[in-house]
Amino acid sequence: MPFLDIKSVDYAYSSGDDEYIQALQSVSLSIERGEFVALVGCNGSGKSTLARLCNGLILPDRGFITVDGMSTSDKKSLYEIRKRIGVVFQNPDNQMVTSIVEDDVAFGPENLGLAPAEIRERVDWALNCVGMSEYAKSGPLRLSGGQKQRVAIAGVLALKPQMMILDEATGMLDPDGRAEVMNVVEKLNREENMAVLMITHFMEEAARADRIIILDRGHIVADGGRELFSTPEIFTDAGLDLPISVRLAQKLRARGLDLGAPLDIDSFVSSALSALDVDRGEAVSDGEKNHNGGGEV
Amino acid sequence: MISVQKLSYVYSPKTPFMSQALFNVDLEIEEGDFFGIIGNTGAGKSTLVSHFNALTRVQKKSGTVIVDGIDLSSKRINVKSVRERVGMVFQYPEHQLFDDTVEKDVMFGPKNLGLSVDEQKKRAREAIELVGLNYAEVAERSPFELSGGQKRRVALAGVIAMKPKILVLDEPTAGLDPVGKRAVMDLIVKIKTMCPTVVMISHNMDEVASYCNKIAVMRRGAVVGVYTPRELFGSQEVISSCGVRLPLVTEIASKLTDSGLDIDPSITDEDELVEALLALKEGRRRA
Repeated sequence: MPFLDIKSVDYAYSSGDDEYIQALQSVSLSIERGEFVALVGCNGSGKSTLARLCNGLILPDRGFITVDGMSTSDKKSLYEIRKRIGVVFQNPDNQMVTSIVEDDVAFGPENLGLAPAEIRERVDWALNCVGMSEYAKSGPLRLSGGQKQRVAIAGVLALKPQMMILDEATGMLDPDGRAEVMNVVEKLNREENMAVLMITHFMEEAARADRIIILDRGHIVADGGRELFSTPEIFTDAGLDLPISVRLAQKLRARGLDLGAPLDIDSFVSSALSALDVDRGEAVSDGEKNHNGGGEV
Repeated sequence: MISVQKLSYVYSPKTPFMSQALFNVDLEIEEGDFFGIIGNTGAGKSTLVSHFNALTRVQKKSGTVIVDGIDLSSKRINVKSVRERVGMVFQYPEHQLFDDTVEKDVMFGPKNLGLSVDEQKKRAREAIELVGLNYAEVAERSPFELSGGQKRRVALAGVIAMKPKILVLDEPTAGLDPVGKRAVMDLIVKIKTMCPTVVMISHNMDEVASYCNKIAVMRRGAVVGVYTPRELFGSQEVISSCGVRLPLVTEIASKLTDSGLDIDPSITDEDELVEALLALKEGRRRA
């Protein structure tokens, strides 16, 4: 049985005056332990609704969701479900509960009833993971937005969940902070086998996931590996951007220089180098022939 | 337009929580500038710009801030006349919408300027249309029923309706999807035709590189320097000393240069990089 299983889920929310907006329609997907999944889609495509359904913050109108075999519709399971899936939201101000950073991070483990020594260890580890150890004794309200978000992530890490959902959690961070969080998330995925569902608008981040799910107006329009990026229309049709390396390669291909579909900057650079070198050789023998330079997909 | 000299700022002075956010900042922003301010979280960007409309007051003996001829460091200042000149758009401005219709929300600023109701309505209508919303459709609706992107437009309209001479934006595209980001940046370019001086805090190096003519780099409460995009992103020295990340295009260009390709490492435009690579290909084919 998959760790997270979402079957034929519909969800509509009220926009007042008996009007409803269908946020999700017939959504089915499952995520296994240890998977690293990116969920992308425009504002209003239903991404955050999906995140809230996963740990039972809201319940589906139709269909069902199970986590580790337990249904989110079963109230008695919610405690266990939320121990297994931690969610980090976009706005850290709504996630702070205490006046000292380390107390905030300790809030979750304390509620699990862990021994003080274990709590101490987890809090130190989590703060260290997000690079906030030196702020352990600060007040969260005195931190900048990016710093607060890193504390919120630490708060979830301290619960050692089996899956972490990041709902645009890097959206407010500066580039360094974002890179740090991505590195932490990748490390947790790799070393702790933590499943990750990352909702993001940064396509460069999405391209680092093993699997990409695209939501468009409440429907899943694509669910696959990185090879999705070799069909750019899937993304652009859903109103999304492409990672810059894919976008550049696309423009170059249209003009007769084929670099494949490099997913990150380094593979773009190496494809460009080999394509240009090869082209020099080919120019002598068979003129215009394109060369597929080491596509990464 | 904005002149900052030796500005320092301390939060919670003379308490155990005292922390200095700005150290001797000097800055000149001229009329017509699209002025970018970059730097990591905690660098002092927001503290600095909050001085520009007197939201944060210049502390005693902590330097001067002159905005459109008004000395904000003097003891008595006419706050209203400053806020008339400087429109401030905070992070996630849609969180500040409050009134029960879009029109009333946008009229709030003009109302506080003491304008007549007719003028308030006229300004609101112009601003709502300028941000690309259909006045007839949205004027009477609650701003809270709108989509995220529309809400942000209404919030921008509320600031534009005051007809400021200077627009200050704190991460105007944060949290938007790529389409929304472009729409907001296009909108800011449009607004700039009537509000010629724009100051923008951003974490998005690609945006800063494509829109700003000058970029101030802040680090730990100080302005490290003010550069043109080419100066900033083209100089390895400046980059590494400022702790700045390159726009992705520039990162690619400079990696290609490092690998021995004859490409300008300070390119900040995607199409320029595409042309440069194609020119190289062409050159090699001929050789």
